[in-house]
Amino acid sequence: MSEMSGTLHSQPGSGASSFPVSLAGSASGAAREVEAELAQYLPHFSRMSEQLRQTSSQIESSVVEVCGSFQGIAARAQETVARTTGFLSRQGEGSSDARSFEGLIDNCSGTLVKILNVTAEAGEISRRAIERIQQMDKASQAISAALLKLEQIAGGNKILALNARIEAARAGQYGAGFAVVAMEVISQTEKSQKVNAQVNELITNLRTLAGSTLEDLMRMNEKDRERVEQCKHEVDQSLSDLQAAHGEMKEMLTGMTEEGALLATDIGAAVRGLQFQDRTSQRIAHVVEDLETLRARLKARFGDGPVASDEGFSAYTMHEERTVAGTGESESGAGDVELF
Amino acid sequence: MRKVLIVDDAVSMRQMVSFTLKQGGYEVVEAEHGQDALNKLAGTTVDLILTDLNMPVMDGITLIQNVRRMPSMKSKPILMLTTEGLAAKKEQGKAAGATGWIVKPFDPEKLLQTLAKVLP
Repeated sequence: MSEMSGTLHSQPGSGASSFPVSLAGSASGAAREVEAELAQYLPHFSRMSEQLRQTSSQIESSVVEVCGSFQGIAARAQETVARTTGFLSRQGEGSSDARSFEGLIDNCSGTLVKILNVTAEAGEISRRAIERIQQMDKASQAISAALLKLEQIAGGNKILALNARIEAARAGQYGAGFAVVAMEVISQTEKSQKVNAQVNELITNLRTLAGSTLEDLMRMNEKDRERVEQCKHEVDQSLSDLQAAHGEMKEMLTGMTEEGALLATDIGAAVRGLQFQDRTSQRIAHVVEDLETLRARLKARFGDGPVASDEGFSAYTMHEERTVAGTGESESGAGDVELF
Repeated sequence: MRKVLIVDDAVSMRQMVSFTLKQGGYEVVEAEHGQDALNKLAGTTVDLILTDLNMPVMDGITLIQNVRRMPSMKSKPILMLTTEGLAAKKEQGKAAGATGWIVKPFDPEKLLQTLAKVLP
């Protein structure tokens, strides 16, 4: 600690002592008076030394405490910067990290495209189904037309059979067999007409069902198309907002990283500033050394001197100072609380 | 991680140097005077020593003279970190085997740069 020159014994460029009063050998009357005056203050030298030592120690404790706090601040700042830097490096352009925002947005876009493709495929299938139902409806119409023709043919057959019966009646007993055949033709024609009517009814039902299915499909197809368009628009907007928010966040984090670096610089400056304590401690140590030397010399000449007087030392105001001076009565210390 | 031995009798200085070096990515060992440093060196090897000059028990110059006699520490850098700036003292340090001399108060960034420069 005693690296700075300036003790009573070794002042650079001076003689044996820097103290202005000669304490050795015989003294003149005036010098004796000064010596006697000094002797009165002899007991105070050890108090002053102690005060200075305590002051130096308190400054050092405070600096150690402040430095400890800086360590905590710096550690937290470093951690923040490291995490931010890590996050930003994952967000860098061209980053393939799936956890990056670009990666997440790309994934969302990809998923959206897949959903749209699937929906479009479903729409295409619906469209083909509509076409097929329309074709089936046309086929049903053709069948209905064919059935109508069959009905007309059956009507013609019936008339022919009636005419045949008339002709058979005219032929008498020779036409009896022919009349039986004509009756059978009429009977078969009527059966055929019944089947025709049933088929016609079935086809009509089928066409009704096909028509309502077609309407449902067409309505659903139209709605799906609108919904997909709406969803696509909303997702596009959300992705765009997310991209913008991500840009802002990146900017903010970059700012935080820069702030962290500035904080490190500030702490560096503070560390440099706090080193005043080392120099102060050394100076105080040198002053204490001088005081001790002076006290030793005075003691050698005057013995222990008179009982310490507080004259000239009324500046003792703090509890600690009064304790060192030996004048402190019982009183509260730092941190004590007393309520009245 | 490079290991540095800090020798200073002031707790606050050790703490400030230690803080600076740890921020710079160094591992730190502390000693409060020359003899304490020699005791620490008996149990561990370091890459660099950063020592104060005037300390109780054993001063920085005597420490360097002792350290230079240790085969494992012959070529390791030793820096003085002191409030003393007299040329004569510096000469003593150089003669004892010091690699460099830094006058307190130190600038944290410059201290780290100096360490990086002297470390192989």
